[in-house]
Amino acid sequence: MDKYDKWLLFITLVLIVFGALMIYSSTSVITPALAKKGITEFYYFKRHIFTILIGFGFMFLAYRMSLSYLKKMAIPLLIFSFVLLLLVFLPGIGVTAGGAERWIKLWPSTFQPSELVKLSMVIFLAGYLSALGYRADSFASFIKPIFIMIIFQAVILKQPDFGAVMSLTFLTFAMLFLSGTRLRYLFFLSAPALLILYKLIMEPYRLRRVMSFLDPWKDPQGSGFQLVQSFIAFGSGGLTGVGLGGSKQKLSYLPESHTDFIFSIIGEEFGFIGVLIVMALFLLLFIRGISIANKTKDGFAYHLAVGLSLMISIQALINFAVAAGMVPTKGLPLPFISYGGSSLLVNMAAIGILLNISRGNDNGDMEGLNKKTFARRKAKKGIYNDSRFTIHGLRTI
Amino acid sequence: MNTIIIFSFFAVFFRLTDLMILSHKRLSEKAKQQHIKVEDIQIRRGIIFDRQGRELALNLELESLYCEPDSLNLDNESVRKLASTIAKEPEVILTKIPSEGKFAWIERKLEPDIAERVKGLNIKGLGFMNEAKRVYPKGKLASHVLGFVGVDNQALEGIELQYDRYLKTRGGKVFFGRDASGRTLSSGVDKEAKGNNIVLTIDEGLQGIVEKEIEKAMLQWGAAAASAIMMDPFTGEILALANRPSYDPNNPGKVNDFEKRNRAITDCYEPGSTFKTVVGIAALEENIARPDMLFDVGKGGIEVGGKIIRDVHRHGILTFNEVIQKSSNVGSVMIGMRLGKERVYKYAKLLGFGEKTGIDLPGEVSGWIRPPERWSGTSIGAIPIGQEVAVTPLQVLRAYSAIANGGSLVRPHVVSEIISPEGKLLVSLRDMEMNRIISKKTAETFKDILKGVVEEGGTGKSASIEGNEVAGKTGTAQIINPKTKRYSKEKFVSSFVGFVPADNPRLALIVVIYEPKGQIYGGVVAAPVFRGITNQALSYLDIPMEDNPHKNPLLVSR
Repeated sequence: MDKYDKWLLFITLVLIVFGALMIYSSTSVITPALAKKGITEFYYFKRHIFTILIGFGFMFLAYRMSLSYLKKMAIPLLIFSFVLLLLVFLPGIGVTAGGAERWIKLWPSTFQPSELVKLSMVIFLAGYLSALGYRADSFASFIKPIFIMIIFQAVILKQPDFGAVMSLTFLTFAMLFLSGTRLRYLFFLSAPALLILYKLIMEPYRLRRVMSFLDPWKDPQGSGFQLVQSFIAFGSGGLTGVGLGGSKQKLSYLPESHTDFIFSIIGEEFGFIGVLIVMALFLLLFIRGISIANKTKDGFAYHLAVGLSLMISIQALINFAVAAGMVPTKGLPLPFISYGGSSLLVNMAAIGILLNISRGNDNGDMEGLNKKTFARRKAKKGIYNDSRFTIHGLRTI
Repeated sequence: MNTIIIFSFFAVFFRLTDLMILSHKRLSEKAKQQHIKVEDIQIRRGIIFDRQGRELALNLELESLYCEPDSLNLDNESVRKLASTIAKEPEVILTKIPSEGKFAWIERKLEPDIAERVKGLNIKGLGFMNEAKRVYPKGKLASHVLGFVGVDNQALEGIELQYDRYLKTRGGKVFFGRDASGRTLSSGVDKEAKGNNIVLTIDEGLQGIVEKEIEKAMLQWGAAAASAIMMDPFTGEILALANRPSYDPNNPGKVNDFEKRNRAITDCYEPGSTFKTVVGIAALEENIARPDMLFDVGKGGIEVGGKIIRDVHRHGILTFNEVIQKSSNVGSVMIGMRLGKERVYKYAKLLGFGEKTGIDLPGEVSGWIRPPERWSGTSIGAIPIGQEVAVTPLQVLRAYSAIANGGSLVRPHVVSEIISPEGKLLVSLRDMEMNRIISKKTAETFKDILKGVVEEGGTGKSASIEGNEVAGKTGTAQIINPKTKRYSKEKFVSSFVGFVPADNPRLALIVVIYEPKGQIYGGVVAAPVFRGITNQALSYLDIPMEDNPHKNPLLVSR
């Protein structure tokens, strides 16, 4: 047997099983309106279980796949996900829901390409950052991935999917930052980014909606509704919660209670203790991912493991923060737990890759190993042991 | 980077501590508020039936329009449309909508087709609630008995008020779980509470006859008002009770106080000659007079305390019987003087004057008779002929019922049974006790005298009916002008009280016509109304004609 990271797998399985339980809990109460649409008690649960089964397939594939092959596939994958992203706007293939065109038809369900974009972006960046030509102190090296990111974001914004844009930005910036990019580049980029952000939300109605998270109680029936309902869910959970299946907020009070706001329902049913356990699991998952990265001697694998860990953690954190009203309300599923096949498949594939890296089979694979970066990382680590990061080299994670 | 991620986790942790631990109480409260729906239990008043089970008051389910001011979004156009749909001025509607709040009525109890049209307008923030509207299907019929309710079904008059605690049930609140769209999650909760049903002693048929006849008399005599009460003389069951003017209890808002008055029990009048019964009965009970005792009333007047009491017609010498039958004032005063004021007062009280009869309707008055020590010098000349006393028509009827039933005072009542919605008998007012006040002999003797009133030579012969003997007495009294404190020359109260069939009384009836024009005498104005009513009532009740050889020789077969 391979020496894969059993803890990582265990945490993932716990999250997936718990997620399936929560999907059943939050979707099993059928209102007459849902019944009219033909939705039954097990409708969402069955579909979720089906997705999980496919997810295990992806996970296994990613686990068995050679990393060098993955590295070779990085750019084709990026192009592929870009094409999928564009397909969203194609009538007949794209699916519109809630005023956003985020999905493409994929029998028997739909697929959200922006989820795949994150994964392919991480793979691409891992390859890019570990390539021989990458220079952390070069602006040209810095701006190329940023440019790609902006192209993707422009398309995603068109859907629109602010949540995906937000997490993609954090992810790219974090990976670049860890690769040792000069901070001033990041700051330099922040100026136009803020300007665009300002432009986007300048319209008063949009601004009001975006900023409503600061005081949702001001308009509890309007822009603050979802957040107020989320708070009520958390608040009525208290320390120990109302028990599995006992949530009242899922009875169509809290919109998206089985997807973006499932964390609030966890809070209501399992209380403070429940959410702490879920948060701890994600934190553990992150720590396992980083330790996998630190164990690897391959640059690509290192960046990949860091990126994937960040991808999952950032998404989970944004989801927590949205539900808790700390950042503007933007739809992002909670990895492994929320209903939503694309996110689940992508995240399970990511875990597959992490498990793959944790086997350590890449050690002998010299192809694609960026000796320079690797050596420098080792060197810097030794020299700047007391410092959290270096200026010209890789920053320690 | 580790630090940032871990720091973020801690930020979320602290935020959730605040939400879930520190704000737990406040947010749970909020949750409860939105998860639980409180509804008032719909109260349905009991149904009121007549003695034969015909519905006189029932409930109609109607929808009432309300708004939720907080979520209401009315522009001028929709206000205008709404106004025209419910036939109101737009300004009127706007005044009913507060600037904020959760609930305000706009229009209560809409007709079903109007409610449908309002729903068709699709205005957000408007809602409908089922409400029961009290309906009196027979309109004005027996309105003074039934009374009416207000827009919130609060009892305001009549049986509705008197028996409110039976008709209405305790409401209360039901708690439901609900989802976000307000749908109720618990089922099988009884949201309706029904009141007890009431069966009246009133007979719709008899009531109709009485109402029709007094209506006719009102028109015929241009009277200001009229009352009639029909009662079973043995049980005190009121079979019909009507007043004019009257009103439609379905539109209580339009009723004025004059129409609302149940004058049969709430208004006093000076009874005049019908009160002569008091001295007549007293004289017989006290053995002061016998039926054939002679009274010289030939002078046509008698002086009492410096005042002369006169007869309408000169009579010469009358027997005791004839004093009553011809309604001689002079003869009655003579009898009264022989009795003395103490005994006149005693018998007036004994026959129930000056005291409430205890009828189960609101607003009854006791009338008024002065105690002997406060009589003036002329009182002994006034009270025996029905002046200086105030009585209600019901008191007079009850006194005459005592003669009809052989000497007992009954307790008049309009309710016979109260039945729970499940059909259980809660209260029965059948078989009420009777209170003997005079001897059977006196009652029988006096009954014969009263029969004579309706015969040839009596004042009430126009009350006679074919086939059955009537016993009764006319009354004509002046009304005291409240301005001058003197008897009015134009305003009279004409009445007739009696029972039929005389020897086996089934009905006792009093007819009182206030301020008739043209004719004033009870024998002319009220007696024909009595005849009209009893004639129809007896055939309605299928009471056979008496085997009376004098009046119906053809029935004597051989």
